[in-house]
Order: sequence, then structure tokens, then C-alpha cells
Amino acid sequence: MKIELRPLDKKQHILDEAGFAYNFDRRVYFNRKSKKIFSVAFLKDKRDEEIKHLIQVDTGDKEWKFYFTSEPPESVRRAVEASIG
Amino acid sequence: MGEVARTVEDRLRQEYFTLLPESRRVADRLEAEVRYHIRLISAGLRRHERVAVKCRVKSCESALEKLRAQQEGAAFDESRPEIYTLTGLNDLAGVRVLSFPRGRLADIDRKLRKVFHSWTADPVEDDGDVLALKYYGRCRTSDRVKGEYQVVSMLTGLFWEVEHSAIYKPDVELRGIDQNFGMRERTRDVAKALRAFEEYFEGLARQT
Repeated sequence: MKIELRPLDKKQHILDEAGFAYNFDRRVYFNRKSKKIFSVAFLKDKRDEEIKHLIQVDTGDKEWKFYFTSEPPESVRRAVEASIG
Repeated sequence: MGEVARTVEDRLRQEYFTLLPESRRVADRLEAEVRYHIRLISAGLRRHERVAVKCRVKSCESALEKLRAQQEGAAFDESRPEIYTLTGLNDLAGVRVLSFPRGRLADIDRKLRKVFHSWTADPVEDDGDVLALKYYGRCRTSDRVKGEYQVVSMLTGLFWEVEHSAIYKPDVELRGIDQNFGMRERTRDVAKALRAFEEYFEGLARQT
């Protein structure tokens, strides 16, 4: 029997599968390998397919790529990066 | 000796203690008004029914934390400290009216809505379900500090208290745990279970 995941569990599952961890302090999901950071606010209204697409896109960046609803200021970027190490 | 640069948090702590006397006045006034206006409901409860009014002024660190959590990435922009103010928070002073079972919520809400008709509705919703009726606005006692009152089922309200004070507050490293998607789904389960319990109980109680 296939169990249907509920909406938030589905989002969590997509992020878990792609190796994203959740940072409690900054309320962001991040992946050190792909250097991507998603804010909870950004992910909230995104469809699962959009999230999957953004996870798969190869940015080729050596720097962290922030997926926020608006471009984070430099001091916020630094604070988030410092938190996730 | 050069001046040490103050952080956004330093400025907000100073603002908090400047506002504190007003916050206390708003909370006291709001509590008194709420208790007064629901006194007839409280007096007419059946034996198994409960209505409780709880009042609080948000602590300094909770106020800062709330404002910080509202920022994306939960961090203040240190280059623009002037954009942050605690007067933007709706719940520096707050009153929560708890009712068991939930059948009384509508009566209490109707009564208070007549008195606080100009206040803005800001219900706590999750997945289309209204978990608590919430309103914020200004009392006559302050033009800077806003007050908030909530009307919520007792079981849900007490669960929130346990959830926050026992799980999140003691450990600062866990404070954003409630925004994790998996955690939110579990919290949603609790809310639904409590609602089902109350509705079933209420159905049986009506038959007696």
C-alpha cells in the first residue's frame, strides 16, 4: 500500500532526499555540496516541482547561492553563512 | 576612547525598556476590559466548562527574537539599524482567553468584538483551519504599544504553552525548530487531534 505524504511532509521529503539540512537558528534549509540556501519563507509558497527544479539547477557557484524572497543584504548573508559553517 | 558600535539588538533592548511601563499599562488595561466584558459568560458556565484569562507582557528577549524571526534568514541587517522597532510588534502586551470546550469560543469572540470592533483581525490559521481568533490594536493607555488578544480553545492554548516553554525556550539552539516542515506537519496533527477530542466531548456533553 502506498502512503500518500501530506503537503509539508512532501516538501520535507524532497529536501531530505536532496541532502538539505535545516538550520534552526536561521530558519533555512541548506546543502553544503551544492552551496544552496533556501529560506522557509521562500519555500512556503513554492510548488514541489519548482523546488525540485531549483534543487537540480547547477549554479556552478563556489559561493553560497541564496534563495530568499528578496536579495538578502550583505550582513544577513554573513550571519547565515556563519551559522551554517 | 572610541565609541563601541551598538548592535541592532542593543538598540532594541534599550527601546524595550523605554516601552516597558507602557506595555504593562496596556496589558493591565486589556486584561481588565476583557475580564469585565466576558464576566457574564464566565458566571454562566456549566460545571464541566472552563474559561481562563491569561495576561502577559512579552519578555525582552522574546520580543527581540520575534522581530528577528520575522526577518528572512532570521538576522537583522546591521547596516540599517534604524528600520527596526519593537513598536511594530502586535503582541508586546497580550491577553489570551482560553475556553473549554470550544463551543464557548464564538460567544466570547462576539462579546469582545463588539468592544474592540476597530481592532484588526489576524487569526492563527494552518492549512485553512482557524486555530485561534486573534486581534490587535491600540488601547487608550498608549499610542505606541499595540495590544493583542486571542480567543482560543483551552487545549490548543495549553499545548502551545507547553510547546514553547518546555521545548523551544530553554534551548536557544532549538528556537526555530517549529518552522521545519516536518515539525509543522506533526504540530498540525496535534491540533487536529485536540479539536477532534473537544468536538466529540462536546457532542456527548450536549446529550446530558
